[in-house]
Amino acid sequence: MENSVNEGSHSHQPFEFTGKAVEYFSIWIVNVVLSILTIGIYSAWAKVRTNQYFYGNTLLDGNAFRYTANPVQILKGRIVALVLFLIYYFASLSNPIIAGTVFLFIMLLVPAFVVMSMAFRLRNSVYRNVRFNFQKDFLQAYKVFFVPILFAGGYIFLVGQIEHLQTDDAESSSNLVLAAISIALVIGIFTMLPWWEFIITRFKVVHSQFGNSDFSYTASVKNFYGMYLMASLFSILVFGVIGLLIAGIVQFGLTEQGEDPSAAIFGSLPLLMLLILPAYLWLFAYFQAKRTNLIFGNLRINGHQLNSEMKTGYLLYLYITNTLVIMLTLGLMLPWAKIRTAKYKASVTSMTVAGDLNQFVTTQEQQQSAMGEEIGEMFDLDIGF
Amino acid sequence: MSSALPSIKGSYFDGQTSGKKDVWLYYKENGLLGFTDTNITETPFASVQISSRIGNTPRFINFPDGAQFETNDNDAIDVMVKTFNSSLFQGLIHKLESAKTFVIATTIGLVVFGWLFVQYGLPYTSKKIAERLPDKASHYLGQGVLDILDKQWFSKTKLSDEKQQVLQSLFQELKTNIEGSNNYKLVFRTGGDIGANAFALPDGTIVMTDELINLTDDNLDIASIMLHEIGHLKQRHSLRATIQKSGLAIFIVAITGDVSTSSSVITAIPYVLIESGFSQDMETEADSFALDYMLSHQINPEHFAIMMEKLIASFSDKYIDCIEQTEEKSTVLECIELAVEHNRATTTKPSKNLLDYFSTHPSSEERIERFKSIAKH
Repeated sequence: MENSVNEGSHSHQPFEFTGKAVEYFSIWIVNVVLSILTIGIYSAWAKVRTNQYFYGNTLLDGNAFRYTANPVQILKGRIVALVLFLIYYFASLSNPIIAGTVFLFIMLLVPAFVVMSMAFRLRNSVYRNVRFNFQKDFLQAYKVFFVPILFAGGYIFLVGQIEHLQTDDAESSSNLVLAAISIALVIGIFTMLPWWEFIITRFKVVHSQFGNSDFSYTASVKNFYGMYLMASLFSILVFGVIGLLIAGIVQFGLTEQGEDPSAAIFGSLPLLMLLILPAYLWLFAYFQAKRTNLIFGNLRINGHQLNSEMKTGYLLYLYITNTLVIMLTLGLMLPWAKIRTAKYKASVTSMTVAGDLNQFVTTQEQQQSAMGEEIGEMFDLDIGF
Repeated sequence: MSSALPSIKGSYFDGQTSGKKDVWLYYKENGLLGFTDTNITETPFASVQISSRIGNTPRFINFPDGAQFETNDNDAIDVMVKTFNSSLFQGLIHKLESAKTFVIATTIGLVVFGWLFVQYGLPYTSKKIAERLPDKASHYLGQGVLDILDKQWFSKTKLSDEKQQVLQSLFQELKTNIEGSNNYKLVFRTGGDIGANAFALPDGTIVMTDELINLTDDNLDIASIMLHEIGHLKQRHSLRATIQKSGLAIFIVAITGDVSTSSSVITAIPYVLIESGFSQDMETEADSFALDYMLSHQINPEHFAIMMEKLIASFSDKYIDCIEQTEEKSTVLECIELAVEHNRATTTKPSKNLLDYFSTHPSSEERIERFKSIAKH
């Protein structure tokens, strides 16, 4: 049965998002009010309703996606996450050593959170009465995350050591060694970052399933290095130009006034911010668009191929206009911003279907805990695709 | 058969594969559901699960055998549900969501509530909580704060030992008249980039910078600043601010909810806007404490007004330009007098505008005016 799909003809199926801002506004405002009235308890139901609205309005080949999470489970996950977060929060207030220990402990749990979170999200996603799935391979998750955690932990440790040594500069030689090690570490982190992102993404993709069919990943590590290279070149160019501008202003200030150049720099600060902010936003949008394309443009399942053509420029335009409108309306246009973002995301995604989408076989379902996902959200880990 | 019975168009999935069949779902008066022109057995309404209505997204009916029916005909499903289940709570949330007047009223209500909550509710509650927490809580918060400040900003004081002694005994004298101030202590530091300033740390330590001390040769001026900082300590403002900040964060998360699609920059904006306007009433409270003390102990409130003016002037270009010429003490006083005069001459009558809301010390002029007007009586 699985082979028969390849014999059929290929067709192009676009994703479609049919949500409307006014309609979603009503859902959102009721969610907000009920969440406040129940001191946050309803927020679990609100999350489910929101996801159901967005999934239900995402169509492929005439059928909608469906979100089936149980709000009670989300609530339980949230309570655990909140307790952990409060512990972390008060630890971070008290003293740096306790805060660092708690932070490292949470870092060690990240791979487990990722697996649990992916499993919860995917197993609660349904299309055409077939459930998505995520294989819970904790061992592999720790293997994939091991080196990044080691590096990040080492980096945090070294930063602490250096700060410690700076106060009593009795041993300047060991200070120097530490500085050298930390520079090597930073360079190591930056050169390995694309590779880590690649293996982590691949880990998430190849453990995902739709029914009993596995997803496969066709991107290579080169694509990720390409993304970072492009971003680095852009940063060097932009910040180089800004650096030259500062130098020019200082020079100008010196010859004009023969005085303190800092006055000239501070005077031109608003102008520099006007240059730096768009550059920063562009980088943000670039990574967002490129990542989405690298993930969704390289997914294959049963001979079907996903396509993603997100454009940095348009995404940047969306982010800027969304932020401005949300600010000016004190958050009331948030639903509108979410809808138009979802519309754009769906409009750039499509599927090249080999034959038809009727051949996926279901598997038996299992209940999943929402803990990983909720903890991930609490600590802003941004788990998921 | 189908023409006589009410029926709904949709897709049927058998629960084995993603294979789709276009079908008509019909239902009978006796509560049996079936599919037209198929050999699928009829199922009683009571044993199926129907998804609740959310906007105009498709509805799903799940059958005990794992099969699923998907349809866009929301109204038809609602009619069917009403026929068999007349519960009042059926689709209640959707009814709320689709009632236009309710949605509009709720929106207005939420805006008003949000404003009231942030402006009055939260400060009041955190004040009450801070007052009830034991001393330990404040102390716990303050641990290591001075160490961090020392590392980042401050350096050792350059004040003479005699000057320090005079100010310490002045501080002790003030303390004798203030209840519960036993563990308060005063330390001096060179402010560096911070400049002329004073801080009340949660563990009861008051830090004054050399730059501030040097702004005046009248010790009563310094005493007025000490009283202001003691006011902060007595009312546990740092503890209160912490509770307030946490409460605000929770409130904003509750409203913005799952904003994963928009960047976190967006969620930070309202936080920053509201946060910066927060400490306003704490400053006023600390001022009140200082003012009450000065009035009941025959200290002219003008001392505080003078110090405030000097503090503001110490950050002006006029003062910085003047002080850079030389660093002898006599010129510090001359420079600050000059800068204060300059500020008085140039500042126009303060007008309340929107920007006031965004600044931590929004109404310095008003605060000065408060002490001055009382001093005149």
